[in-house]
Amino acid sequence: MTTAEPGTQAPEGSFSVVTRASQRRERILFIAAGVALLILVLVPLTSLDAAQSAGLPLLADRYWFRIATTILMFVIVAGAWNIIGGLTGYPAFGNVVFFGVGAYTVGTLVTKANLPYALALPAGVLVAAAGAALIGLPLLRLRGHYFAVASLGVAVATGEVINNLQFFGGASGIFMPIIRSDLLFYFLMLGGAVGTVAITWAVLHSRFGFGLIAIREDEAAAAVIGVNTTLYKVAAYMLSAALTGFAGAVYAEWNVFIDQSTAFNLDISIDSILMALIGGIGTLFGPLIGAAVLEYLIQSFAGGGSLAAYTQVGLGVLLTVAVIFLPRGIVDFFGGRSSFSLRYLRRTMRETGV
Amino acid sequence: MTASASPLLSLQGVTKRFGGVTAFADVTFDVDAGDVLGVIGPNGAGKTTLLNCISGVYRLDGGDITFNGQRLSGRPPHEVARLGVGRTFQVVKPFTSMTVRENAAVGALFGSSEARMPTGRAFAYADEVLELVGLAPKRMSPVGSLTVPDRKRLEVARALCTKPRLLLLDEVMAGLNAVEVDEALEMVRRVQKSGVTIMLIEHVMRVIVGVCTRALVLHLGRVLAMGEPQEVLRDQRVIEAYLGQEYARRQARHRRE
Amino acid sequence: MAEQVVLGLLLGGIYVALGLGFSLVWGILNIVNLAYGALVMVAAYITWQLSTSFGLDPFVTIPVNLVALFVIGYAIQYLVINRIIRAPFLYTFLITFGLDLVVVNGLLLLFKADFRSVNTYYSGSSLTAGPLVIPYIRLWSLLVALALAGIMWWILNRTRTGDAIQAVGADKDAARLVGINLAHTYGLTFGLGAACAGVAGALIVTYQAITPSAGEPYTLQSFVVVILGGLGRVSATVIGGMLFGLIEVLGQAVPGVGAGYANAIAFGVLVLVLLLRPQGLMGRQTL
Repeated sequence: MTTAEPGTQAPEGSFSVVTRASQRRERILFIAAGVALLILVLVPLTSLDAAQSAGLPLLADRYWFRIATTILMFVIVAGAWNIIGGLTGYPAFGNVVFFGVGAYTVGTLVTKANLPYALALPAGVLVAAAGAALIGLPLLRLRGHYFAVASLGVAVATGEVINNLQFFGGASGIFMPIIRSDLLFYFLMLGGAVGTVAITWAVLHSRFGFGLIAIREDEAAAAVIGVNTTLYKVAAYMLSAALTGFAGAVYAEWNVFIDQSTAFNLDISIDSILMALIGGIGTLFGPLIGAAVLEYLIQSFAGGGSLAAYTQVGLGVLLTVAVIFLPRGIVDFFGGRSSFSLRYLRRTMRETGV
Repeated sequence: MTASASPLLSLQGVTKRFGGVTAFADVTFDVDAGDVLGVIGPNGAGKTTLLNCISGVYRLDGGDITFNGQRLSGRPPHEVARLGVGRTFQVVKPFTSMTVRENAAVGALFGSSEARMPTGRAFAYADEVLELVGLAPKRMSPVGSLTVPDRKRLEVARALCTKPRLLLLDEVMAGLNAVEVDEALEMVRRVQKSGVTIMLIEHVMRVIVGVCTRALVLHLGRVLAMGEPQEVLRDQRVIEAYLGQEYARRQARHRRE
Repeated sequence: MAEQVVLGLLLGGIYVALGLGFSLVWGILNIVNLAYGALVMVAAYITWQLSTSFGLDPFVTIPVNLVALFVIGYAIQYLVINRIIRAPFLYTFLITFGLDLVVVNGLLLLFKADFRSVNTYYSGSSLTAGPLVIPYIRLWSLLVALALAGIMWWILNRTRTGDAIQAVGADKDAARLVGINLAHTYGLTFGLGAACAGVAGALIVTYQAITPSAGEPYTLQSFVVVILGGLGRVSATVIGGMLFGLIEVLGQAVPGVGAGYANAIAFGVLVLVLLLRPQGLMGRQTL
């Protein structure tokens, strides 16, 4: 263990966000994202009857739709987490509560109030955002570990309470009337994912975004230069919740069935944080890249029995290695001057080691 | 000194307690527009606590603070900033992931109701202010690469970018060497000339005598003396508070002889 | 009611043992160890293996657990977590989550997902004192936990190692300046914390069937115990643990609530305490 000489160590929490290097990188990523979006719009269209009868090759089968829709869902959830966790610096570990609230709002409205899904979906988004205001006002007074676990606690407790209430179907969950359309759910999630990135971009380039980053870096300093910290934090939390709630609301109908273990699945919270971390916390495209890479890996190795256990072990090792060597995420690793090199890895380790 | 106009900042019987401990009690004084008020006092006299009360970081346990005809007491920090009170922190609090320029610009994006500029203008204004405090050559640097005096300058720049009418400076000269103190004094004078009223906490007597138009001595949570800096520093009670009674008695004897 | 109070206090013993290690690592290293419950399960499986293979009494396996978990804990800290000890807390949070995945699924591969339990000849017997029925196992668990608290207090307050640990907790840089080996002391601290998890694991397997993933609630409960009592002192953890035992037993005794709400009660208490008294009921520190 060598002692780092003073001056080389980064101050705690200095994982950079908007620099000129990152802006250059962003431009390249914008082009790549545009191309990817075009492909993502065109490929599923080959499954249409018209395309098939015109003799086009079928590029998107049911399996493709399942994987792609899942990945897009995580792009939304990870991007949504990035707004409160990455930009505002409030490590929400229980964002799945908004996924669950979005899903259960849709489930309840459709099955109990016979509301059409097209109306229940925006209601799910609104209820999730309102829930965030309710939870956020008291919880966002807490910091660091305390906020992390309190938000986790709210998620666990909410899921458990819903699981115990017969009104919400109790332990047997809610079955939704089936809507058979791979394309519908795929494009809903794709729209949500594009929307998440677009909203993040808008936030990053606005006064609101600067206020959030100021809060993350030093809340007291942000307050005395005139940032209404409570308002900004709650607004960021609500935005994050609305997007997460959207994903949950789409998931409820797509999956047809929801219960505590699917709608309040803590893995959704944890995975979304991992994705943002692996891609690059606080960056525009980081969560998107992280979600695509990680969820693709998870889906590729999905299976039952001991294969699942090996996959989880691999995921744990990957996470540990990523935290040690790539604390700034994939986006940074491929961007800056000394990136994609051993020097880069050594430097990040020196910054954070004993 | 124009004593006719109503003061810019006015404290009336301000009291702050932490649990059973009284930080200060019944503090009353005014700051006129254009003044540079130096607040001095031994460690633990409650100087920083006083700034925290004015800027809304702490709630008062008694008394009233008015600024420019409006009550400050009871307002959260961001509202105080909105009204035109800027401040720095003794332990600097830069936004570490941002560049020097971005740090200053955030001040102009928010700040007093006269600031709150759109992004483009905020950056232009930040450049102006960085010029004023002498940080212009380093405006594109990350904060991590700044020296201690530069970090203190940045702290002042960010506060100035909020376009305050009153600027509270908490020991911006502590830890600077003689040359750096001179530069900082020059900076304070420039800021004063630009029309900002200043209240500063300082340990370095040269600062009090050098730039302050008035001085206030806080001791054991009370205002011990206030007036012209030279006078205040000759005050018997002030010397006692700083250097002990024995020294003060000897000084007095010395002078008589 | 009286019986429930006694049961709550007995159950509190487990929480004391759990909270001691969690609190130490959090208080000194500023790490919220999400793999803590997984370490508890490692210990529980060691006890289960020793008692099924060699017929050892679970309470006799405690010293083995102590040593084994200390070594595992020291290694985890020294080899893995030390690499990122100065990173923002989110990163230590995530790295311990990664470790949790590895350990839990490692156990799953080794021991399968079946429920395992340990039975002793005194498993069903109880001490009867007037109207109170006190299961022996619970009573002994409480005594072991209190003994552990005593030992931890002694180590932290009466030994040179304890001084070093406390110094590191107070100021890392100052501790380094007076010649304390940081990497080693971090390892010791995490090792001691894991040893507490070792004791807790042995106690848990005496009255509850275990699976590899059964540890997760214990991480969350340890967190609540530490919040309840307040960070950083052995006495605070003892009170926090006892209180949590009481809350759990009494909360579930409320008509219409029941065991289905165990987590909701725990986290309800957690959030309330955080909002009303963030330094914990016994704590002196502020947030």
